[in-house]
Amino acid sequence: MGTLEETFFTPTVPMDFVYNYRVGSYVERYLGGFAEKKILGSKCPGCSKVAVPPRMYCGVCNKKMEEIVEISQEGTLENFTVGHVVLEKGQLSPAEKPYILGLIKLDGASSLLLAKVEGVSPAQVKAGLRVKAVWKDQVEGDYGDLDHFEPV
Amino acid sequence: MEKNVAIVGYKMMNALDLVTSRERLTFDLTRGLFNELGIDRLAVDTTILDSNDFLDGRTISNVFLDPQAGVYMRDESKVEMDGLNAVLYACMRILSGQYQTAMVMALGLTGSQVSPYLHIEYTLDPTYDRQVKLLNELSAAALQARSYLAKYGYSEELLDGVAAQNLGNAALNPYQARRISGISKDQVKGSAYYYEPLRELHCFPPSDGGCAVLLASEEKAKELTDKPVWIKGMGQSIETYFLGERDLFTSTSTTQAAKRAYDLAGVTDPKKQVAFAEISSLFAHQEPLLAEALGLLDKGQAAGAYQVGETAIDGKLPINPSGGPLGAHPISATGLVRLAEAARQLRGEAGDNQVREAGMAVVHGQDGACAQQNAVVVLGI
Repeated sequence: MGTLEETFFTPTVPMDFVYNYRVGSYVERYLGGFAEKKILGSKCPGCSKVAVPPRMYCGVCNKKMEEIVEISQEGTLENFTVGHVVLEKGQLSPAEKPYILGLIKLDGASSLLLAKVEGVSPAQVKAGLRVKAVWKDQVEGDYGDLDHFEPV
Repeated sequence: MEKNVAIVGYKMMNALDLVTSRERLTFDLTRGLFNELGIDRLAVDTTILDSNDFLDGRTISNVFLDPQAGVYMRDESKVEMDGLNAVLYACMRILSGQYQTAMVMALGLTGSQVSPYLHIEYTLDPTYDRQVKLLNELSAAALQARSYLAKYGYSEELLDGVAAQNLGNAALNPYQARRISGISKDQVKGSAYYYEPLRELHCFPPSDGGCAVLLASEEKAKELTDKPVWIKGMGQSIETYFLGERDLFTSTSTTQAAKRAYDLAGVTDPKKQVAFAEISSLFAHQEPLLAEALGLLDKGQAAGAYQVGETAIDGKLPINPSGGPLGAHPISATGLVRLAEAARQLRGEAGDNQVREAGMAVVHGQDGACAQQNAVVVLGI
């Protein structure tokens, strides 16, 4: 029989299961705002910073952010990247066409919101661009309602 | 630090595909290290294993590694974050006085067995970012890169230069996975964009790898090796998950972690006192960004420093003379590999990658999107 030469059997082992995340009411409130074409944030009672999307706790002050405030739908493109690939479930594939992802400082917000930017070409997009929210025609109170931002 | 802890041995393996199993890699690293040190498993008082359960596809994934890691009926515990955190844990166990020796072993089979990009994809906020599907490890890194370039007015050429230098160093290093001989800036610039400004060769490669390191108290270290490498200081810090609330052009938590490590090590002027650094820069821009945060480069001076070769193997302050994570990024083990690479330098064993002056080294490890959590260790001889 001799010594066993080691080889590696490589079965594919998929894992697919559902988590029911219980996350408190803030994301629900945010999406509720979408149903009325509003963008909501939460304000910290300590440092007065406004987080968009709203979240429950301020890291700096270690306080609960209890006040929900409405934010302007216009803002400034602070930072962006042009995507040439799509990455989903760990797999990289080429994008159909280049697309812009922007970090946007909405007027009145302290944080930057990540969103798609359209209506300007990837070759011409620049930080400092003033942009506004574009909603889907039929809003449903879901993540996709706030479709993208475009130049004002 | 009040008491001295030394690195007395290391063993590392990296390849795009190691053609191995988790069990086999664990055995090769740990048994290999014991053999090189002339010890058996009972000489190890405590062991910290480090890998990511999610990437291992199994929870508490250390449960079946006891025969391979030599920890059967021994003292063993697990860390889920980057391996440099496991080093801090192991070091503290020795400092407690309860243990004379502590082994750290970390591995990541993110070249052959699971996609490396899942690590961050499934770190993302499940109730927001994973629903909106815009953020991932590469798009987040690209936003950080753009923020850094814009802050100091650097061109994308800086990224090509950093990547070419690292890949050049990696090509010389037998412990690296991605080794491209004759790599040039033009070749880096010719690779395709993933997310602008990051191109394929600005980013870490999917790779397999692992590393085992044995630490010992001062007394024990002198029995085990005549070339101890001393841990002079260590520190950690974490910042917010939310990218929209971070100063992406720098790494404040790295600066905090470094301050803690430098204070312990008595480092007051890192640029002068530190001889070289091994930094967990997963993307080209992160190397100068983190080097600035570690106080090794002046802010805004990176382009000039790289252009004149200040950070090259034969430069004034070499950064990633090993080639860094652009050569290999075995998730969980990357920071531990940096530590082993630094020890290799300090022991004068780094061959073609050897820096001229190797007195004090800074080692950095990171975890989370855009280096949310950072660990820093200062080494000396």
